[in-house]
Amino acid sequence: MVEMNKILDINPVDLLVTVEAGVITESVSKAVEHLNLFFPPDPGSMKSSTIGGNIAENAGGLRGLKYGVTKDYVNSIEIVLPTGEIVNMGSNTVKAVTGYNFVDLICGSEGTLGVITKATLGLLPIPADRASILSFFKDMTDAAKTVIDIVAQGVITATLEIVDKVTINAIEDFLKIGLDRTVGAMLLIEVDGQKGATEIEADIVLKVCKSNNALSVRKAKNSQERDKLWEARRAALSSLSRIKPSTILEDATVQRSRIVELVEAVDGIAQKYNIMIGTFGHAGDGNLHPTILTDLRIPEEAEKTEKAIEEIFKATIALGGTLSGEHGIGITKAQYLKLELSKPVYDLMEKVKNAFDPNNILNPGKMKCVWNS
Amino acid sequence: MESEVKTKDKKNKFEILDKSDDLYICSRCGTCLAYCPIYKQTLNESFSPRGKMSLLEAINKGKLKYTDKVSEKLFTCTTCNLCKEECPSGVKLDEMINIAKSDLIYAGKYPEVLDMLKKRIKQAYNITFDSNAGRLDWTKQLPESDPEKYIKKEADVVYFVGCVSSFSPRSFGIPRSIVQDLDSAKVSYTLLGEEEWCCGFPLISSGIKDVIGDLVKHNIEAVKSKNAKLLVLSCPSCYHTWKYEYNKYSGKEIDFEILHISQYLLRLIKEGKIKLNSLSGKVTYHDPCDLGRNSGIYEEPREVIKSIPGLDFIDLPSNRELSNCCGGGGNLESINQTLASKIALAKADEIIETKADIVITSCQQCNRTIDSSLKKKKKETGTKVKVMDLPELVLQSIQEQKAEN
Ligand SMILES: Cc1cc2nc3c(=O)[nH]c(=O)nc-3n(C[C@H](O)[C@H](O)[C@H](O)COP(=O)(O)OP(=O)(O)OC[C@H]3O[C@@H](n4cnc5c(N)ncnc54)[C@H](O)[C@@H]3O)c2cc1C
Ligand code: SF4
Ligand code: SF4
Repeated sequence: MVEMNKILDINPVDLLVTVEAGVITESVSKAVEHLNLFFPPDPGSMKSSTIGGNIAENAGGLRGLKYGVTKDYVNSIEIVLPTGEIVNMGSNTVKAVTGYNFVDLICGSEGTLGVITKATLGLLPIPADRASILSFFKDMTDAAKTVIDIVAQGVITATLEIVDKVTINAIEDFLKIGLDRTVGAMLLIEVDGQKGATEIEADIVLKVCKSNNALSVRKAKNSQERDKLWEARRAALSSLSRIKPSTILEDATVQRSRIVELVEAVDGIAQKYNIMIGTFGHAGDGNLHPTILTDLRIPEEAEKTEKAIEEIFKATIALGGTLSGEHGIGITKAQYLKLELSKPVYDLMEKVKNAFDPNNILNPGKMKCVWNS
Repeated sequence: MESEVKTKDKKNKFEILDKSDDLYICSRCGTCLAYCPIYKQTLNESFSPRGKMSLLEAINKGKLKYTDKVSEKLFTCTTCNLCKEECPSGVKLDEMINIAKSDLIYAGKYPEVLDMLKKRIKQAYNITFDSNAGRLDWTKQLPESDPEKYIKKEADVVYFVGCVSSFSPRSFGIPRSIVQDLDSAKVSYTLLGEEEWCCGFPLISSGIKDVIGDLVKHNIEAVKSKNAKLLVLSCPSCYHTWKYEYNKYSGKEIDFEILHISQYLLRLIKEGKIKLNSLSGKVTYHDPCDLGRNSGIYEEPREVIKSIPGLDFIDLPSNRELSNCCGGGGNLESINQTLASKIALAKADEIIETKADIVITSCQQCNRTIDSSLKKKKKETGTKVKVMDLPELVLQSIQEQKAEN
C-alpha cells in the first residue's frame, strides 16, 4: 500500500486532487500549495499516515471545528471489495444523491469493508490571514466555559485547543519554553479568513477570554511566536508519553455545550482511582484526549486503568457523547460498543459487514463485540 | 573466513533479554517512519525504526531468534539517529539498536565486512590495509612538507586527524587545510603520526566492544605525552567518541579539553588569530549526524561561515536537529551500496533546491558522499554545486588576503 504513493491528478478548477491511497497525508497539501490550495484534515500523524488510513479511520485533526474531518473531503474512491471486485464509489460533483452514500460508509469503517486504492479529495483555498491567541486560566472549568462562549458569540475558530495543568507541566519539562506551571489550563486559539475579518474575530476571542476570568491572554505577535505556540501544542502527547511507560490516549467526545461536565467527570475519575490523567484536545469539537499515564505491566495499575477507562466511557455516554471522536473503535474499544449502540443498530452493522465481506477476511475482530444480553 | 569479531567474553545470554523498557514504551505510532532514511528509500517496514523495535520486542519475549534476516534488518541503519530525535515517546533507539548489534555479534550473525574491519584495526591500528606509518603521507604535498614540523615533542594543541582523512587521498584536502589554518593562527600544535590509533568508533558503532579498551588507553596516553591542553578533531565520529565514549571506556575523566575543529576555528576567529577576507557566493551547510544531532554542535560551523564577509548563507530545508543523513553513516556503504547511494541522491536534491553555489560540511565522510552524489546529479541535470569542508573554506578566505596583497 505504501508503494501506491502517487498523486495522479490536480484539478484546481474543481478544487480536487486524485491520489493513490498510500500517499502520505502531508504531501497532499504540499503538492497543491503552489496553487494556493490545501487539504484541510491535519491529524497529528500527518507526516506518516496515509490517505487510505485517514479515510479508513475518518481522521480529524486540529482544524475540525471550522473545517470538519476527512469524510468532508472525500468525493469518490476506488476500492477493492473483499469479494474481488474493483469498484468506484461516490461522485466528483459538488452534490450527488444517486444511490446510498457508500463513501460515507467506507469513511471510518476501519478497513473492515474493503481496501481503498484511490481517492479524489476536495481542496480549499489557503486562508489569506491567520491569528493565534494564547490564554491561561486558573482551572479547566473556566477554560471550557470560554470555549463554549467563543462559539456562542458567533466565532467559528479554525482551532480551539485546550491543555490542562498536567500536560502544561509535561510540555514545560520537555521543551522548556517558559510556560507558567502554576496555571490550571491553557487555551490555544486560531482564527483564519480574510484580512480584517480575522482581526475582528480575534478581538471577540480576547474579550470572551477576559470575561471568563482569564489570568492572561495575548495574541502572537509574529509567525515565529505563533509557530512556538503550536509547537507546544503538538508536543502535548510526546511530552506526556515520556512520563510513564504506558500512555493510554482516550478520545471521549461530547457536544461542546457539555464539555465543562466532561472535564469535571474526568477529573473526578482521576481522583477516585488515584491515577495520573493529562487532558488536552480539540475543545472546540467537544473532543478531549484524557491521557492515562501508568505502567500496565504492574497488574494493580492495569486493573485501575481498565476501571477508569470504563468510567470515562460511561460518563461520556451519560453526557450524550460518543466513545470515539476520531481515533476509532478498533479492537480495544470494541467491547464498549454496547454502551453506545442499540442491539438492532449493532446487528445492522454486522449485516453490512457480512454483505461486503461474507468470508470475514478484512480486519476480523475490529468493531466486533460479544453481546450476551 | 575465521570469525574475528565474535568475542569470547563470558556473556551467557543476550543483553536484549534484560532490556524490555524501551521496547515496551515504543507505542508503534509510526512517527519515525516519516524521518528514517532507510524506510523512506525502501518503504519496507521491517527495516524501519518501528520495525526494528518490533523485531527486538519479539526477541525479548522469546518469540523470535536472532537470525541472518534479523541481522540484515538491524545492521541496515545509518546510525543517523533521526528516529530517536523525533520519537515522541523518547525511545532510546540508538541504545537498543546498538545492544542488538552486540548481541548479533555474539550470536555470530553479522555482516562479513566487520571481520575484516576488526582484523585491520587490531593489526594496523587503522581501518585501511596500509601500515600505520603512513599516517602522515598527506603532508607530503604541503608547502612545508617536513614531517618534523608536524610532529613535536610537546605542544599546546594536538590535532587528531582520524583514519579516513589520514589514508584516503580524496579527503587529504581537509587535514592539509587544517594545518595551514592553524599555522596562520600561529598555534603551537602537533600531530600524533604513527602514535595515532583508530579512535574505535567503527567498532563501537557496530557493536564490537572488546578491542576498544586498548585503543582508548593508547590514544589518551599519546595525547598526554605531548603535554597538550587541548585536543582538536576534524572527524565528527572521532569527536563524538572522544567526547562521549572515552570516559566510559577509560574509567576516568579526561583532563584536557576536547573540541571539534569547527568550535576551535570559531574560537581562533573570535580571538582575532585568524583573519578572514571577503569571498563571494551563496553557501549552504549540511549538519553531519555525528556532529549535529549526536553531539549537539549546530551553531559553531554556521557562525564560522557567517563570519566570512561577502558570503550569502542559506540553510537547507531540513537543518540542525532535522538534518537528513547523507547516507554515509553506519557502514551502510559497505553493507548496501545501492541504498546508501539512494539516500545520498536525496540529500543532493535537497542541496540543489537551495540554489547554493557551495555546500559546506564539516565531516570527511559527508564530504565524500555528498560530492559523489552531486557529481552524479551534474551528469544527469547539469547542476553544479561545489562541496567544501569548513576548514577548506576558512583557508580559502585566509588566502584571499595573500592574493589581494
Ligand atoms: C502520533 C499520532 C497522532 C494522531 N493524531 C490524530 C489526530 O490528530 N486526529 C485523528 O483523527 N487521528 C489521529 N491519529 C490517528 C489517525 O487516525 C491515524 O494515524 C491515521 O488516520 C491512520 O493512517 P495510517 O495510514 O497510519 O493507517 P494505519 O494505522 O496503517 O491503519 C489504520 C486502519 O486503517 C486501515 N487501512 C489503512 N489503509 C487502508 C486502505 N487503503 N484501505 C482500507 N483500510 C485501510 C487499516 O487496516 C487499519 O485498520 C493519530 C495517530 C498517531 C500515531
Ligand atoms: S516514533 Fe518512537 S514510539 Fe513511535 S513507532 Fe517509532 S520508535 Fe516507536
Ligand atoms: S538511526 Fe537513522 S537509519 Fe537507523 S533506524 Fe534510526 S532513522 Fe533509520
